[in-house]
Amino acid sequence: MDDESKIRVLLVDDEADFRRPLAKRLIHRGMEVFEAGGGEEALSSLKELPVNVVVLDVKMPGMDGIQTLEAIRQTDAPVEVILLTGHAAMEDGLAGIKAGAFDYLTKPVNLEHLAQKIRHAADKIAARKAKAREQEFRERMEQQMAATERLAALGTLAAGVAHEINNPLAIIGEAAGFALMLMEKPEAKQLPFYNSLMNALNKIEQNVKRGRTITHQLLSFARGGDDAVVLKETDIVDLIHDVIAMVNREAKGKDVTFEVESTANKVYAWTNPDGIRQVFMNLLTNALFASERGQKIVASVEDGENIIRVEIADSGCGIAKENLDRIFEPFFTTKPPGSGTGLGLFMSRGIIDRLGGSIEVKSKIGCGSTFTIYIPKVSKNAVVREPDKHWLEAAKEIERSNSHGSGAR
Amino acid sequence: MVRVPVNVLVVDDEKDFVEMFSLRLSEFGERVTGVYSGQEALEALKKDEYIDVVILDIKMPGMDGVETLREIKRHHPLVEVIMLTGHGTVDTAVKGMKLGAFDYLNKPADFKEMKEKLEAARDRKAQHEERIRQAEARSLMRRGGELY
Ligand SMILES: Nc1ncnc2c1ncn2[C@@H]1O[C@H](COP(=O)(O)OP(=O)(O)O)[C@@H](O)[C@H]1O
Ligand SMILES: [Mg+2]
Ligand SMILES: [Mg+2]
Repeated sequence: MDDESKIRVLLVDDEADFRRPLAKRLIHRGMEVFEAGGGEEALSSLKELPVNVVVLDVKMPGMDGIQTLEAIRQTDAPVEVILLTGHAAMEDGLAGIKAGAFDYLTKPVNLEHLAQKIRHAADKIAARKAKAREQEFRERMEQQMAATERLAALGTLAAGVAHEINNPLAIIGEAAGFALMLMEKPEAKQLPFYNSLMNALNKIEQNVKRGRTITHQLLSFARGGDDAVVLKETDIVDLIHDVIAMVNREAKGKDVTFEVESTANKVYAWTNPDGIRQVFMNLLTNALFASERGQKIVASVEDGENIIRVEIADSGCGIAKENLDRIFEPFFTTKPPGSGTGLGLFMSRGIIDRLGGSIEVKSKIGCGSTFTIYIPKVSKNAVVREPDKHWLEAAKEIERSNSHGSGAR
Repeated sequence: MVRVPVNVLVVDDEKDFVEMFSLRLSEFGERVTGVYSGQEALEALKKDEYIDVVILDIKMPGMDGVETLREIKRHHPLVEVIMLTGHGTVDTAVKGMKLGAFDYLNKPADFKEMKEKLEAARDRKAQHEERIRQAEARSLMRRGGELY
């Protein structure tokens, strides 16, 4: 902070006898002062030194002050320039202002005036910096909010579509199931193409199941409008053991082990056990998928005053940096078709958000990933999504935000 | 041992679904009636006193599944109801269970799971009926004892 507000002056004048004493007196006033004997020297110093104000003599042999000023302006260096012109050389001063100088003073210089001008110039730089920072911050916030809103709208849309697809899917499933039942009759065995037909019907049935996994996951994201989540006193440690028991068989097949650490035997929260169970399930299956033979997955629970922290750490493949931002998006998956839906983390974040908690990830390629979730001890359903917003509305919203901004239609 | 068929009423506004689902259940040996709305379901129950289990879609235009469930339970408390829900959540189902549904199935349902629930529902209805018969018999006997 102090370092940033310090005024650093580059004093450029070909006459050392004028320069030296002036520099000393400015230093005396608390400024840091560098010196240069000409335009070229000034330009090369600016590349190295953290200067914010340049005090520049106009009359110099070789590259004169105005030329130097123009060269400085071309470099984009974040500095303000004060020109020192010869007595009665007003046009030099004006030319300097046109070329982008902050101001000019005529020689002989009144030290008081110069010091004041330098301070003003420095203030201008500071104000500009603050504004740029604020602008950047605002842009980042806006981007983040737009992303969150888009994600929420996308979730609603996806759930709506899933709902519409569910019914035809159910009919296809029933029809295939019925046809398969008929195929079991002895007469059916006589049919030509019996094997091909059976094969085709089985494919239909299998893929209805696959579609069903996706629609069910999406639908459990969109809760019914007026139905409240069931909140219960829940032992988080017990819940983790439950979920581990469910995935243990798959883990054994891969020779992966689980370890549970906890600050207490039982860690209670007033929360939604079904939701939290689903989150653990997603995180543990992901960790298992990422792990290699013989590796260990560690789940640790830390009881806090208001918040419970749960960490799920694997030593698996890790997540590429460019994917870290995307893994919470719906349908983002790096798994082969059929083995990943890309909905697990999206759903998990939705569930945790609604409970008023949060979820974070740290990962390094080749070293593993750690997902951390924070669960409030008492959930009040903090974030309630707009009830029953119809998915068509959501679709329109996305369309609006798409045509907005990107000029293309 | 001869398997006693379950008497099922399937209620869903999707006609193709009712048709396919019923065909499959009949092929499996159950006795199935299909209707397309809550209103028709209530009429069917009034006409056919042998229905054991109603498989009821939650999302229907007009009288929806929850409303239909309420009416069924009011007029036919012994008939068991299995809710068909499109929402993968337990929320709607929990509401249904509180109103007296026997269980719920996610749509598209797994046939094996569905058959198991169907039989469990029928068995519970049979148990209830048996208990009522016994209670009636006891009260008859008591009355009998007073008379003679
Ligand atoms: N523990 C993990 N280790 C490595 N990659 C992970 C891990 N968890 C999630 N990922 C990455 O995030 C993606 C999205 O995960 P998820 O939303 O659960 O969907 P899915 O598991 O169906 O792919 C995965 O495809 C994977 O690339
Ligand atoms: Mg997953
Ligand atoms: Mg329907």
